[in-house]
Amino acid sequence: MSADKPSTALTSRQQVAVVVLAAALVGAVLAPSVYAATNEPSDTVAVVEIEGPVNTALADDVESELADIRANESVGAVVLKLDTPGGAPVASERMYKAVQRTSEDMTVIASVQSISASGGYYAMAPADEIYVLPTSTVGSIGLNAPAPRASSTALGPSGPDKAGSNPTQAWAEQQTLADTFINAMMAERSDEFEMPREEVAKADTYLGTEAVQNGFADEIGSLNEAIHAAATEEELGEYTVDTRETGQEFGIPFLVRTDTGIVAIHANDPGYADVKPMPSTYVYTPAVPHVDTIERFSETDVRTGGAASTERGTPGNETARLSGGVGA
Amino acid sequence: MTRVAPLAAAFVVTLAAVTGGAAVAGYVTADGAAPAPAIQNDHYQNPDLIANDTPGQATVEMDASAGSQTVLVDPGVEPATARPVLPFSLIGLGGGGVADRDIRPLANALIENGHEVGVYVPDPDQQRRPARPGAEETTQLGERLAEADAFVTFRTDYEPDELDAIESFVESGGHVVLATEPDAAYSQPGAASLDATLDVTTESGYVYNMEENDLNYQRVYAEATGDASLTEGVDRAVFPSATPVGTPAGGADVLRPIEGSELSTTRAPTDAPLLVRNDEVVMIGDSDFLSPDNARRADNDALIGNLADFLVTNDRTPPGDGGSTGPTQPGPGQPPTNGTAG
Repeated sequence: MSADKPSTALTSRQQVAVVVLAAALVGAVLAPSVYAATNEPSDTVAVVEIEGPVNTALADDVESELADIRANESVGAVVLKLDTPGGAPVASERMYKAVQRTSEDMTVIASVQSISASGGYYAMAPADEIYVLPTSTVGSIGLNAPAPRASSTALGPSGPDKAGSNPTQAWAEQQTLADTFINAMMAERSDEFEMPREEVAKADTYLGTEAVQNGFADEIGSLNEAIHAAATEEELGEYTVDTRETGQEFGIPFLVRTDTGIVAIHANDPGYADVKPMPSTYVYTPAVPHVDTIERFSETDVRTGGAASTERGTPGNETARLSGGVGA
Repeated sequence: MTRVAPLAAAFVVTLAAVTGGAAVAGYVTADGAAPAPAIQNDHYQNPDLIANDTPGQATVEMDASAGSQTVLVDPGVEPATARPVLPFSLIGLGGGGVADRDIRPLANALIENGHEVGVYVPDPDQQRRPARPGAEETTQLGERLAEADAFVTFRTDYEPDELDAIESFVESGGHVVLATEPDAAYSQPGAASLDATLDVTTESGYVYNMEENDLNYQRVYAEATGDASLTEGVDRAVFPSATPVGTPAGGADVLRPIEGSELSTTRAPTDAPLLVRNDEVVMIGDSDFLSPDNARRADNDALIGNLADFLVTNDRTPPGDGGSTGPTQPGPGQPPTNGTAG
């Protein structure tokens, strides 16, 4: 009988309804992740850390993070968390350009922890505002380089400038390197600086309390206050904080002063390949330890830490290798 | 069985519609991350940013027509085996073999005009010899000065008997050029004694100029304040690391730093002289300006020529004519010179 059929099987319309319902359920499960993949909620303040010596690895990471932030609609504002004495000129410039570009898209606030000097100051200068703590250190706008000296004539290079033996040319290049930095800072903050270019070029550093008076910083405030200010500026309402670490593991490479200049050491236990001289730097020198200081600490470590020295093998080995590397 | 295909199709279409809708909604509501245009930073493209690196030309010429004079140069080289010496490195000398390298423009001018140039490097063995009882004490420097008409020194730490020899030398009409460096007074004992002997003064700190300088704030320009033979033809000289100097005698033969110069220790504007003349003595608060590289900057070549003229234009008549600086022993190969003012 036809009367039995409806009782044992669904009608075609019912079957379709069941399938559609099943598909809708599956879709409902998938939809949030699909939606999230294409559009996260727009209520994040990204905190980009710029810590340690300014170098290529740090610039790589900062550029990449800021590019990601600009492309990510969920990020409404950026806070730069700075703690750096500066470093390599080109790395400083790369971060400067990345911050400048990000600043065109959204609010960028720099929050200085203990120090943001020289190349660190360069990197954060395009930020909309600079937050400092009362005893943070900022400034040191200038170049650090040894006085060029006439070298003995090099025999062999294909041209007179290949081995660079003219002090006047070296002086001129150093002046250009310094002016590039100073001009950029004047372009970014000449309206804020309460002093003429000549005074800025003296490369002095200022404590936070003085910096907010002379225009090297804008506000006294902590990182959280900077984050809140950035969120408020972009009217984010409720927001989440997304911290993005940059650079290699802490402190590597570290900068060391020698009697002849500054070197970057790319390993805790450096060999010849790990020591790179930095002839010209945008760095605040007093924040860079002298190699003698490090060696002294290293020696004490070896002498007093008996267990540590047996673990390491030959006592004094580390010191010897460090000094050997730096000497190279 | 034929209903399976439509059912499968319905499932796929529905799933696609839901997930696709979510995707489209996401893309529609997202702002595309189109590459931003490059930001033009005019401050990087200013042609004035690039410092002029032309080394320049130097023509050191002498006007003096004096007969052959002997000029003794003390480059500040310590006796052999001594520690590396500060004044030695300050004037950029690389080693014992190139002791006269950095004053070559001055030495060349003197030699080309027929004068003798001697370099004084103390012999450690002789210097420490005990004075014979009863004998008139003399010094190596005294012996060399006795033969000289003029003296150029970069050293400040002379012993008392050497200072006596220098004083006698000046009193007998010999001309002295003393080129010092910033803060030499701190690191070298005896600087004040030499200053007192020559009646000149130095200040602590160095002069810099943030507004106008020769490729570095410490490489300051100095200009003449009046007409004098020492500054003739010198519109501007460059002193790479200069300290203010002075003399109670005053006078017009001075170079002062240009406007905008400041002193490192006070951070206050300064126009204290960087070069002064006290009759037989010229005191310069810098020694690097004599180097071949710096001789090509500004009018340093004219200044060096004037200094050469000053050295050979003296009233001294050594030796044998009653030089008052102790025993004179003209050495072999160094004929006595009878230079007089020209």
